[in-house]
Amino acid sequence: MKFDFSEDQVMLRNLIREFLTDQCPGSHVREMIESETGFDREIYRQFVQLGILPFPEQYGGGDLGMVEQAIILEEMGRIPYPGPYFATVMLAGSALQLSNDENAMARFLPDASNGDLIMTLAFTEDDTGWTADAISAEAALNGESVTLNGRKRFVPFADAADIILTVARTPGTSGQDGVSIIAIPADAEGVSTGKEMMFDVTSRTATVEFTNVSVPVENIIGEAGAAWPVLEHVIRRAAVAASAEMLGASRRSMEMANEYAKERKQFGQFIGQFQAVKHMLAEMLEKVENGHAAVYYAAWALDADAPDAALAASVAKSTMNTSSRKVCGDSIQVMGGIGFTWEHDLHFFFKRAKNLEVLYGDVDHHYDQVLNEVLAGRVAGAGD
Amino acid sequence: MDLRYTEQDQAFRSEVREWLEENVPRKKLETLDEKKAWHRKLYEAGYLGMGWPSEYGGRDARPMEQAIVGEEMVRARAPAPVNGLGISIVGPTLIHHGTEEQNQRHIQKILTAEEIWCQLYSEPNAGSDLASLQCRADIDGDEFVVNGQKVWTSGAHNSDWGLMLARTDRNAPKHQGISCILVDMSSPGVEVRPLKQLSGSQEFSEVFFSDVRVPADNLIGELNTGWRIAQTTLSYERGGNTLSRYTRMQESFNRLLDVVGIVKRDGAALIDSPHIRWRLGKVYADMEILRYSSLRILSRLERGERPGPEASIAKLHYSELDKAIQEVFLDILGPYGQQIEGIPDHIALEPDTDPFEPGSWAYAFAWSRAGTIYAGSSEIQKNILGERVLGLPKEVRADRVQATAQQASSSGNGDD
Ligand SMILES: Cc1cc2nc3c(=O)[nH]c(=O)nc-3n(C[C@H](O)[C@H](O)[C@H](O)COP(=O)(O)OP(=O)(O)OC[C@H]3O[C@@H](n4cnc5c(N)ncnc54)[C@H](O)[C@@H]3O)c2cc1C
Ligand SMILES: Cc1cc2nc3c(=O)[nH]c(=O)nc-3n(C[C@H](O)[C@H](O)[C@H](O)COP(=O)(O)OP(=O)(O)OC[C@H]3O[C@@H](n4cnc5c(N)ncnc54)[C@H](O)[C@@H]3O)c2cc1C
Repeated sequence: MKFDFSEDQVMLRNLIREFLTDQCPGSHVREMIESETGFDREIYRQFVQLGILPFPEQYGGGDLGMVEQAIILEEMGRIPYPGPYFATVMLAGSALQLSNDENAMARFLPDASNGDLIMTLAFTEDDTGWTADAISAEAALNGESVTLNGRKRFVPFADAADIILTVARTPGTSGQDGVSIIAIPADAEGVSTGKEMMFDVTSRTATVEFTNVSVPVENIIGEAGAAWPVLEHVIRRAAVAASAEMLGASRRSMEMANEYAKERKQFGQFIGQFQAVKHMLAEMLEKVENGHAAVYYAAWALDADAPDAALAASVAKSTMNTSSRKVCGDSIQVMGGIGFTWEHDLHFFFKRAKNLEVLYGDVDHHYDQVLNEVLAGRVAGAGD
Repeated sequence: MDLRYTEQDQAFRSEVREWLEENVPRKKLETLDEKKAWHRKLYEAGYLGMGWPSEYGGRDARPMEQAIVGEEMVRARAPAPVNGLGISIVGPTLIHHGTEEQNQRHIQKILTAEEIWCQLYSEPNAGSDLASLQCRADIDGDEFVVNGQKVWTSGAHNSDWGLMLARTDRNAPKHQGISCILVDMSSPGVEVRPLKQLSGSQEFSEVFFSDVRVPADNLIGELNTGWRIAQTTLSYERGGNTLSRYTRMQESFNRLLDVVGIVKRDGAALIDSPHIRWRLGKVYADMEILRYSSLRILSRLERGERPGPEASIAKLHYSELDKAIQEVFLDILGPYGQQIEGIPDHIALEPDTDPFEPGSWAYAFAWSRAGTIYAGSSEIQKNILGERVLGLPKEVRADRVQATAQQASSSGNGDD
């Protein structure tokens, strides 16, 4: 039983922290908010070239596990990093890897690994759910090509993406049947993106309309119509990755509020001496440490293919959903009026966490999943 | 990271499980003798004081092995050892701070439950602020003379010995005039008056001391160093046992899952209500977090680290979580949850919910209110976390202000 990071994992964390604090200080985040694409292509390229990707080595990745990705995402949450790492690596990359589609991996992953190719996953529709029932975009097979029609919303970094892995179903199917993932070049005819701007101004999304978009059948990732189990797994990984990012945002917020509580004086004393403030910070600490246990347990369970991997992912996401709003929100409370300004960085964390709360399953979705997994007996130690 | 149990751990678990299956008493233990006999059996099997050095009857067991025994005992619905405080607090205190003679005299009898122990710390005016205790132990030749009162002393009515904190220097600053002594509860002048608890049973007591003579040899460590000793014993109370607390919650949860499948309300099984499902999902998620964080603590203990102030996170977490969970259980069970007699078999909570009480949902609920008070209340834990982990400045407190003022004036006197 070893819950602590290995030496390599500690080195990885230090490497990422050094890179991100150096390259992406608060001033950089603010610059990116004002920029056209919302991120710096060169920094992104350098970052993925650190050799930290989960992709197989033969396709230029570092073959790293989910624990390592959680470490990376936690560090990104501490910035909060503006850029398409999550979209390219955790969403689209996971879909390619988990599909076990060697052709598709060989086609996309080497370019993604050196930062030349930006990818994303278009899942969410007008119905913003995360189950197969939420999918209504249609992909009709006709001989050697497939024709896509539908609208996707909140597609991360869709404007910057070169390849949009799009989730759609075979006409006439429902539920988990007939769901496919199709690689659509962003510049294909019939693809148009509409502007979105979210409360979390450090993350970009767009609405993407697909009107009679036709691509060769080779662009179907994995088996046509059989992608749901893969997607379920992708969403699970994304939920854990998002939880890690929320953990980073929470811990960073707490640290800022804690520092402030040691410096700010009112009524002739440091505000951190008031129990109301001290206890609020203590509760934040408890939430952050419990969140750490949840995130890394879940990441480990995915890597180990543990019987409770799905359960743990839902525990992590539901927990970070409820804790990060509390921790990031209370940090603002501790900072008083300053916490409510645009000038102070605190609100970026608050907003990043809020953004991630509703993605890859909200708290209701995950409590539901937790109970389903328990009732199905997929708990720790099952099968031992 | 590797959160698998080793093969060695798994083998040990099966061994413990098998032993418990064969040995757990089939009927409820009624008398003190029955309880002592069960305790002794656990000890003889090697499951008590496991982590203690072998020279003191332990087996130098790893923290993981101790946690496994704790978990398996809950699973097997095994009654807890009757000399719980002896095992969890007194034994370790002696091993760390006792003299060779003291250890020879007491440790074996703690392990075998020949002598039952209680913890004589709290007083009417010294609870959270334990260091302000006033029970006195005055030196008289080679004896202490003890006068004063203790309160909330768990198990005092069954105890042969007590681990006491008493004031031995009334002129020293409050933390520096306290000593730790071993008191024979059968000494003349000791009077135990049981108190009835919220749960309905009589488990803790008031204890009065009038001119009780205690040999000076019963002092643990140096005179006036009792506070430091107590700090180490308090840390044994926090952190180590969280996994078995999780297991206890999980046992209740699993029982509840059976119940919600059978019991109907408004014509439908409880489990079919989306509201109830939501709450069950949430409770389970919250319990899992406790399991994960317990494993995290265990993995640190396994590396040989002692639980530091972070143990306060575990204490705060499990005790507050227990309250929240019990509330949900009672919400779901409706009036059955509050029934303490006549509850239908298919709804009753079977395992003992506490070493001292019969099992019922209502008792478990009642006991959840104690966990955030004893062993350092939640508020005290938050102070510890704020000051010792987050490094926040100490609060302005009347006793500190007074102490500073006294210091200033006494140093003033010294100048004169
Ligand atoms: C949107 C907005 C509009 C505003 N508009 C106006 C305006 O029009 N005019 C104007 O004059 N002001 C205005 N304010 C300022 C507002 O009144 C102050 O922000 C508020 O009084 C808190 O003071 P502070 O920001 O200095 O925080 P601080 O007083 O430094 O408080 C920081 C933290 O310490 C806590 N704290 C402080 N003292 C104690 C204590 N004794 N016990 C326990 N906790 C304590 C606080 O609750 C808070 O969590 C506005 C603020 C906001 C956010
Ligand atoms: C079931 C049970 C068994 C027990 N068994 C034993 C035993 O075997 N031996 C023994 O010695 N004692 C025992 N105790 C006593 C226990 O240790 C005390 O109850 C505990 O230390 C709290 O002290 P108190 O009851 O005097 O409450 P108080 O200290 O008076 O506290 C009352 C309230 O004030 C709050 N408070 C106090 N100080 C602060 C502060 N600085 N900041 C913020 N809030 C504060 C507390 O959190 C609490 O909510 C037991 C208690 C219970 C409930």
